[in-house]
Amino acid sequence: MMSDQKKSDKEGLKALRQQRKASIERARKAIKAQNQNVKAIREQMKSGGKTIPEIAAGAGLPTDQVLVYVASLKKYGMVIEGPKDGDYFKYELAPK
Amino acid sequence: MSTKKTAETEEPRVGVYICHCGGNISDHVDVKKVAENLEKVPGVAVAHTNMFMCSDPGQELIQEDIKSGKINRVVVASCAPSLHETTFRGAIKRADMNPYLYEHANIREQVSWVHHGEAATAKATSLVTAAVAKAKELEALDPIKVDAARHATVIGGGIAGLRAALDLAQRGIEVALIEKSPFLGGQAANLERIVPTGERAADLIQDLAAKVMADSRIRVYTCSRIVKSEGYVGNFKITLKTQPPDSQADLEKLQEVAAKGEKPGRFVPFAGFLAVKVPTTASEQVLDSGAIVFATGFSTYTPRDGEFGYGQNPEVITLPQLIRFMSQEKSRGRSLTINGRTIRRVALVHCVGSRQIPGIHEPDADGGLNEYCSRTCCAATLQAASEIRERYPLTHVLEYYRDIRTYGRGQEEFYERASENHVMFLRYEPEDPPQVERLSKGNFPLRVTVKDTLTFGEALSADVDLVVLSVGMVPSRIADLVDMMKLPVGADRFLQEVHPKLRPVELANTGILLAGTCQAPMDISEACNAAAAAAAKATSLLSKGYVELDPFVAQVDLSRCKGNGACVAACTVDAIVMQTVEVDGQSVERAEVNPALCTGCGVCVAVCPENAIDVKGWTLEQYEAMVDAIVAD
Amino acid sequence: MEPSRELNFDALVIGGGIAGLQAALDLADQNFKVAIVEKDATIGGKMIRLSKVFPTLDCASCITTPKMAASAHHENISIFTYCDLTSLKRDGQEIKADITQMPRYVDADKCIGCRQCEYGCPVYVPNHEEGNFNFRKAIYIPFSNAIPQIALMDVENCSLCGKCAKVCPTGAVDYFQQPEDFVIRAKTAVLATGFKLTPMDQKPQYGGGKIQNLISSLDMERLLAPHGPYQRVIRPSDGKEPDSIAYVQCAGSRDKTLGVPYCSRVCCMYAIKQAMLLSGALPLADITIYYMDIRAFGKGYEQFFQNAKAMGIEFVKAKIAKIEQADNQYVRLRYEDQEGNGGVVEREHDLVVMSLGMVPDWNPAGVCDVACDTDAFIKSTIPSLAPTVTSIEGVFAAGVAIGPKDIVDTIAEAGAAAMEASKYLNALENPKAA
Ligand SMILES: Cc1cc2nc3c(=O)[nH]c(=O)nc-3n(C[C@H](O)[C@H](O)[C@H](O)COP(=O)(O)OP(=O)(O)OC[C@H]3O[C@@H](n4cnc5c(N)ncnc54)[C@H](O)[C@@H]3O)c2cc1C
Ligand code: SF4
Ligand code: SF4
Repeated sequence: MMSDQKKSDKEGLKALRQQRKASIERARKAIKAQNQNVKAIREQMKSGGKTIPEIAAGAGLPTDQVLVYVASLKKYGMVIEGPKDGDYFKYELAPK
Repeated sequence: MSTKKTAETEEPRVGVYICHCGGNISDHVDVKKVAENLEKVPGVAVAHTNMFMCSDPGQELIQEDIKSGKINRVVVASCAPSLHETTFRGAIKRADMNPYLYEHANIREQVSWVHHGEAATAKATSLVTAAVAKAKELEALDPIKVDAARHATVIGGGIAGLRAALDLAQRGIEVALIEKSPFLGGQAANLERIVPTGERAADLIQDLAAKVMADSRIRVYTCSRIVKSEGYVGNFKITLKTQPPDSQADLEKLQEVAAKGEKPGRFVPFAGFLAVKVPTTASEQVLDSGAIVFATGFSTYTPRDGEFGYGQNPEVITLPQLIRFMSQEKSRGRSLTINGRTIRRVALVHCVGSRQIPGIHEPDADGGLNEYCSRTCCAATLQAASEIRERYPLTHVLEYYRDIRTYGRGQEEFYERASENHVMFLRYEPEDPPQVERLSKGNFPLRVTVKDTLTFGEALSADVDLVVLSVGMVPSRIADLVDMMKLPVGADRFLQEVHPKLRPVELANTGILLAGTCQAPMDISEACNAAAAAAAKATSLLSKGYVELDPFVAQVDLSRCKGNGACVAACTVDAIVMQTVEVDGQSVERAEVNPALCTGCGVCVAVCPENAIDVKGWTLEQYEAMVDAIVAD
Repeated sequence: MEPSRELNFDALVIGGGIAGLQAALDLADQNFKVAIVEKDATIGGKMIRLSKVFPTLDCASCITTPKMAASAHHENISIFTYCDLTSLKRDGQEIKADITQMPRYVDADKCIGCRQCEYGCPVYVPNHEEGNFNFRKAIYIPFSNAIPQIALMDVENCSLCGKCAKVCPTGAVDYFQQPEDFVIRAKTAVLATGFKLTPMDQKPQYGGGKIQNLISSLDMERLLAPHGPYQRVIRPSDGKEPDSIAYVQCAGSRDKTLGVPYCSRVCCMYAIKQAMLLSGALPLADITIYYMDIRAFGKGYEQFFQNAKAMGIEFVKAKIAKIEQADNQYVRLRYEDQEGNGGVVEREHDLVVMSLGMVPDWNPAGVCDVACDTDAFIKSTIPSLAPTVTSIEGVFAAGVAIGPKDIVDTIAEAGAAAMEASKYLNALENPKAA
């Protein structure tokens, strides 16, 4: 059974979703695009460590954007920094 | 029952906390490995690492372990204890544990900044293990509470000293303001208008000094010097000697004042504010004071004989001399005249006696160099340049500079104004300073030649009537006070604060504070800020009526003391005396320590043949435990 | 509607940067009750976001966190973060501040700072705290040594998917939180509202903010911070480790056309500091500082500058006339050569840092009628002898809020403001003694 509190929360959330429709819509779109990018970037690293330009070329994304993603994936523990290759560092998927 | 009591009787359970210091430590020391090593040390209950132990989450780590009863001793391995020992003691205290059940291991300055790789990790492990060994031997201690006099002594009656005295008095603290000359106002008395506000220095001094004189809580002692200082924070005993003025400069100023018929209570240009009648006989007195504020200020640099022609050519003067000449100059001609000489062209040279570089500049008689920038001379020089140009349009001005340092708001305008006034700027490198030579023929007495880096290093010569040297600041001569009070002095010979950011207005000597240019070059507003900040620190120290001192002082074990007296002879601060006590019905002499005077230096421990004296928190047993731990592997 | 909550203190400090913290500590140590009101979600101001600080090269965290923690734990200090000051006025014998507690959408009493919500949230958002060099989430903790360690939600970017509420172990997420108004009454106030940098896109000849690998000095502080966005210094455009880095001095200062006629006092020194840190991190890189005058005027600063020269950092006296994007994401600088052979010179660098100036962060218009100078900094009415005194009785100011200055000068000034405020409080208590 749903408690009164939960019920009213549920209704409240509904109202909130209505109220913030525009920003929620934007956020949902962003998540979708981001997930695609993350997937494409991770895909590139599956075959081993790669530099930012290599990932970018493979994933068809601009290098600066790829770097922001890789830095973030690293921050949240999904990517690690590997050895240096010329002027660039290679990035690898974090071991599970 | 408080945790303080239980800690001593329980088995020691040490918590070890190892800091990454962002990377400062962990880039060279494998902190995880150190933690793993420490976990195996007997008596260690937990070993944690953290990015920044001093941060809130870091401190909470310790507090949680204390509160949950996991630990009853703390070892933090991080930066130098001078930075954060008090931080961690505070955290422990807030968790209701005795803050002296704490030991600090310095693995930054002593390890990661000097060693690398495995050696660094090994040394860090050793140091932390030693700290654990000591921590296991620690006892709960209580800080020493001593009464504090609600009285402060301010040394120096310049702007900063006046500001500090007034601030303290307005917070209800009695103040003795001690000035060696007959005048208040210090170096500012030699200025006309101050940069950047354009206020008259005379008005500022008159304003402050009159308020100081009117405040019943402040006693002003001019013509006075400190001849002896004893005691400690809260209870300084300062002996003061007041004497009729004898310095040539003071006597000349007094004559001038007398000639003008000025009475005490007024500001006299280029002398200062004559506070009270000058004494005719010498006298001495002793003040009981809780804190001391140093406001001994600066003197201007005196150029060496021949430096830019100074001392060898009467036409080479310093900026303060120029300011004085210009204030006395009453003629309304279109050219500046000095001592009846028309000045058609004047060269102003920046950075004289400042920004000296080893290998380029010659050290002074004591082997010192003034490597610092004096901060105030650029703006003062530009102001003088503009004033010459605006008052005497026929006098041309050249400025020889290295960098123009009109920092901050309202100062850049002086630079711009000088440019608009057609002051000509030439820039020199320290290796190639302007050369001043005497001309035997021709129209001008002097020629200044410089490799001007603004015109591709071309050598430019200008014939001039006057050369003005923008001399920097040097600290006032206070070697007697430095020796007497054992004050720390920096390589730049200014008084040295504990830490420029953590404790910027305090000296390492507890209860002695810094106000103004005795610490470093500053302008008037900056000196007033420093003085007020020092007054705030002194007020927090004294407002409670007592001060707490660290309990790391010598302690006599009466069961061992035989009254040998070696400790009394060895103590440099007279903190130990012999007392007659009853032992087994007999009157015998035994050593007794005055904890407030004891500095915890430990010389007494070294000389006692009976091992009957120890420094609390640093006992021989604790040292032995540390050494054993270090040599164990 | 009148807010129900009213709180009383001896002193109110606006701004929780180093100036505000020091002023609060100096007052609290004199046994006055102090409130700190901060608009950000954390105290610490700019200083906690720096890498290391000149001239001692201490890590900024090492110096700031203890002051943050000391304030947070002081029995006489209460801290209010994420607050909007809507009015600050003298009201008879008191200073009255109207404040809105902005909703964090997280219950501050329940949150334990575990960051589960942040890991759970699916939305990536450019992380302004890190120069937008990486992402944060729509619910996040500002940074690892923020105080307080309480999460906040950015509803603009929230998809309201409910993940954070689900993963939070203490049930702290509250989507329905509302702004809450309250009033603080105090006898005295210290304004310590600090600065922001002059904008990157101010000058069209500097590319209007559109050039890759042209970053601000605060961005460089983050790149140099040990726990920064990449945890090393690489080019934001593609991750290349830079071979040559340049600094453009006076990039937002000493320029009347920008409304910033003054020198910002710190940019020479921070550029030298960063250059030294860079030559430690990237020993092979060439580092050049293009300057008009090097203003190393504080205690130990000139020696710091000379050390930098001796380390091989190149100092070129020049005002940069133009900045452009060159090939391969390089940045091209154009300037008039003064010291060499003359003429216009062009040089390209991997990474160029704009040594931006300081402008006040807070515009009191409509909130507080404290007088400001033409350059918008709060005006000091006794500029030489008591620089912290403002036009409102009992209201004082400290730090960059009354003019650019470095940390050392800020801390001294904060002590001075605390002294003025404590004298004012003392005079109220003992009218005769004053
Ligand atoms: C790139 C860079 C590097 C630097 N490096 C150094 C260095 O190495 N050494 C050094 O000494 N100095 C350095 N500085 C200078 C140093 O950052 C400043 O001196 C110092 O941070 C000033 O502190 P503050 O408290 O006055 O201002 P801030 O740090 O700006 O703090 C002001 C606070 O007030 C808050 N606030 C503003 N308005 C309001 C409002 N209306 N209501 C509530 N709160 C408000 C702000 O959010 C902020 O937290 C550097 C500066 C820069 C830009
Ligand atoms: S303990 Fe000291 S050295 Fe370590 S992070 Fe904290 S501040 Fe830095
Ligand atoms: S400090 Fe240096 S860079 Fe900054 S404005 Fe002043 S002169 Fe220019």
